[in-house]
Amino acid sequence: MSFRTKIFLSITATVVLAVWIVAAVVSALVTQSFERRDAQRTAALAGQLQRELDRRGADVARRVQAVADSDPVERLAVNLGGSVDTSTYYAEAQSLAEEQSLDFLELVGPDTAIISSAEWPARFGYKEDWLREAADWNKQAAFLKQENLADGSALGLIAVRSVKAGDGMLYVAGGQRLDREFLQSLPAAEGERFELYRNFDSLGRSNKLVDEVRRQPRQLTQVTDAASVTAIPLRGRDRQLLAILLIENSRAELTNLKRYIQATATAVGVGGALLALLLSFWTASRVTRPLRNLALSVREVALGKWDTRAPVTSSDEVGQLAGDFNAMTQQLVEQRDRMIQAERVAAWRELARRLAHELKNPLFPLQITIENLQRAREASPEQFDEVFRESTSTLLTELGHLKTIIGRFSDFAKMPAPELEAVDVNQIAREVLQLFDAQLRAPGSAPVETRLQLDAALGPIPADPDQLRRALRNLILNALDAMPRGGALTLRTSGYDGKVAVEVSDTGEGLTPEECDRLFTPYYTTKQHGTGLGLAIVQSVVSDHKGTIAVHSRPGHGTTFRIELKTQGTR
Amino acid sequence: MRLPGWAWLALSSALLVPLAGETRPHYGGTLTVELSSPWHAVDQGAKSALPIPVAETLVRVNSQGAVEPVLAVAWQHDPDYKRWRFSLRSKVAFHDGEPLTGAAAVPSLLGALKQRYRDVSIEAGGQALLIEAGQAMPDLLEELALPEAAISRTGDASPYIGTGPFRVTQWEPGRHLTLAAFDGYWGGRPFLDTVAIEFGAARGRADLFDIPVGPVRRILPEGFATWSSLPRTLVAIETGDVQPLLPAFTLAIDRTPIANVLAQHKADPAFGLLPQWLSGYEFLFATPPDWARAKQIAPQLRGASTGLGYPPYDPFLRSVAERVALNARDAGLILQPTTAPNAQLRLFEVMLESTDAAHELRRLMQQSGLGALDDTHDPSTPQGRYNLERGILDQRLIVPLVYLRETYGIGPRVHFQPSRDQFSLHLEDCWIEP
Repeated sequence: MSFRTKIFLSITATVVLAVWIVAAVVSALVTQSFERRDAQRTAALAGQLQRELDRRGADVARRVQAVADSDPVERLAVNLGGSVDTSTYYAEAQSLAEEQSLDFLELVGPDTAIISSAEWPARFGYKEDWLREAADWNKQAAFLKQENLADGSALGLIAVRSVKAGDGMLYVAGGQRLDREFLQSLPAAEGERFELYRNFDSLGRSNKLVDEVRRQPRQLTQVTDAASVTAIPLRGRDRQLLAILLIENSRAELTNLKRYIQATATAVGVGGALLALLLSFWTASRVTRPLRNLALSVREVALGKWDTRAPVTSSDEVGQLAGDFNAMTQQLVEQRDRMIQAERVAAWRELARRLAHELKNPLFPLQITIENLQRAREASPEQFDEVFRESTSTLLTELGHLKTIIGRFSDFAKMPAPELEAVDVNQIAREVLQLFDAQLRAPGSAPVETRLQLDAALGPIPADPDQLRRALRNLILNALDAMPRGGALTLRTSGYDGKVAVEVSDTGEGLTPEECDRLFTPYYTTKQHGTGLGLAIVQSVVSDHKGTIAVHSRPGHGTTFRIELKTQGTR
Repeated sequence: MRLPGWAWLALSSALLVPLAGETRPHYGGTLTVELSSPWHAVDQGAKSALPIPVAETLVRVNSQGAVEPVLAVAWQHDPDYKRWRFSLRSKVAFHDGEPLTGAAAVPSLLGALKQRYRDVSIEAGGQALLIEAGQAMPDLLEELALPEAAISRTGDASPYIGTGPFRVTQWEPGRHLTLAAFDGYWGGRPFLDTVAIEFGAARGRADLFDIPVGPVRRILPEGFATWSSLPRTLVAIETGDVQPLLPAFTLAIDRTPIANVLAQHKADPAFGLLPQWLSGYEFLFATPPDWARAKQIAPQLRGASTGLGYPPYDPFLRSVAERVALNARDAGLILQPTTAPNAQLRLFEVMLESTDAAHELRRLMQQSGLGALDDTHDPSTPQGRYNLERGILDQRLIVPLVYLRETYGIGPRVHFQPSRDQFSLHLEDCWIEP
């Protein structure tokens, strides 16, 4: 993930998270505020409902009292005292109810038989036994009651008054219907709606809140996304549940507000994301570009271009970093140059030491021989010729040694470029190992077992056969030198992944890690009589063939050199 | 207090007889009449208890069921009752002065008789009438006594010209009708000079007004008396295809409150198709309500609502329907009063138009949808009528509820001659104090 993407995601996440938190908090506060307002409104409405019921009840009681005080009722009461035929009063309640704007009115005789009914005229003669329940109806307030009608039932606010009729009482039971008109008279705020569920009706559809209140009559509130609904139970005289008033407060306003908040938050979030995008581009141009340049410079340094310089475009931390990087590369270059210089000096010194060492050995016999010649010339001229012959022979021998030493150094210096041709590595390995047969079988030589493990599936590879033979020869020589008391020499070939591997292993003393590190340094040797050029030549050959050489060794467990050469895709 | 029919009859007679006897009849004066229902034809009230005596029939049937001559003075028929010969009263003139002849009577008679006898023909010659038909006409006299067979005609001066004691002088359909005494009436000039009838009025200022049946309670002005006719309008329920509920339904109906309260005592409980005064056997059908039995039968029928139809704009029948539905509910039956024409049960009224039991039974069956009589029953005899009614009632094809009376308020200055019957009020017998 790029730095720019990270910046973009970070800014976007920050903006969106902040907006979301603000929106959630505002939404929660708004919801809380609305719910508090709804609760207050519902409570006020419940109080208003009770007051309205009380007011209407008082009004109903007043109207019923007016009916009880009316002439027809007074006349009926008088007639009832004289046991008159009441059929002539059959229609009386209707006109009286009309006069007093009552929806229900029944004139009931002392035997509780209906004399006249306004709401259900046909019910005359039927008994209203519940009228015996109160001792003095004239002290009773209005109450809710289920009124049976010809076409069903209705909920009424009923008041009863009694008039003395002979030895008994004439009851006047009247009231008004609690219906839609009553609900409309309640002061509903905007978004508020009332509904009256009558307990004696069968519900058209299931309503959980109503069912709950029916099971256990108490005020309950149910909140949904659409509305909060409060159910207020309405009871009759004997506390039975007659109806349930549902006060529904629409939450549309809240929903709209929350939706608005969400929309605003979304818009701000999207805007924030766009801003983050722009900001990330800007930040990238200001921050990541120097970093990218710095990263590019680091990569070039890693590739070996130690003189790479990172542009310093600002004075901030990135700029300081670029400056420090430049200073670091500068120091690295200087240190490299110094190291190269030191290595050159060391190499020259090593070369001089080697040359001195190599040359000193032949030179000392030369000097002794020449001094012997001089002493022989002066001390015994008669023996001079013999000494001369012997000395010149020695001189020639030592000069030959010098020539050989110089030739080796010359050969190393004059390593030619490889002339590649298709070479059978297995064949080369056999040939080279065969060269050492005589040496290994010579009397007095250490017993060395040779093992040739060749991969018969190997195909030819592009290589210079002479240089390859030379490299293998050097490795075998090293291996034999490493086993002065004998051992096992293994020459192994194998192929894999478009490469050919040639391994030369011995069972000698092995090498320390430090020795392994310096093994391919020119003129470095662990042998007393080596020039330190053998492995350097091997490495040179392998490097010229674009291959690699590695050494694996542990003290006491022998050493293995492994050369890997490319097959150019053929096996 | 509930009064039986005979008591009402006695009470009405008691009210009228002293009125007639206390003062001597007086000629002259105008009788004002208020009727609650509007008439749209002059002869519309011919079947009511206050018939307008403008046109007359050839004969009439008195309260004892005997045929009396009116415009016909003699008649005879062949043994097969297919050929009848009538002699018309002489020196009878229409209100416009035209003499009553056989030819003048033919159109009215033919129009009336064609409804009963399709191939009837009438020949007129002078004051004689020959009525013939391919079928026997044993009831021809009763048919000729019906108001439909009254002899009348139209003229330039009046839309309705008859030979009765009063003639039409002013007619505004549905609003006003004025009658004047016909000085040339063959039976002698009536006492009243004029009868002014207002329709649809209920001001209670007239000398004579009807008191409709139903819940409207009307307080009679001081000095006014009431007159009630014999029970003459049957209120009943025609049953349709709801036979399963009828046994419980008929047991649940309590007729007495309907007669006493809803009809305000202007009705008698009805258990037969013809009223007791007309049939003489109606008491045999009387069955009191039995709610316990009705409940035993009814539970199997619960759940279904049955429509009980009643005519629209009739508050009395509506109240009856509601009461019947309430009775049925007590038995566990659900009846729904409705004005829909396709209700399974139908509440209807049939007014008696004559005192001829056979004719009325026949007509009642036709009007209640039972159809014409078959040959198995002979309604001309009391036994035949009883059997016929018993069959209908046992099958519960019709459930009678009450028989309504017509009631009128009569002012203190109005007097009637001793009544010929309690079936109708006769304006020609009426006189008023100056």
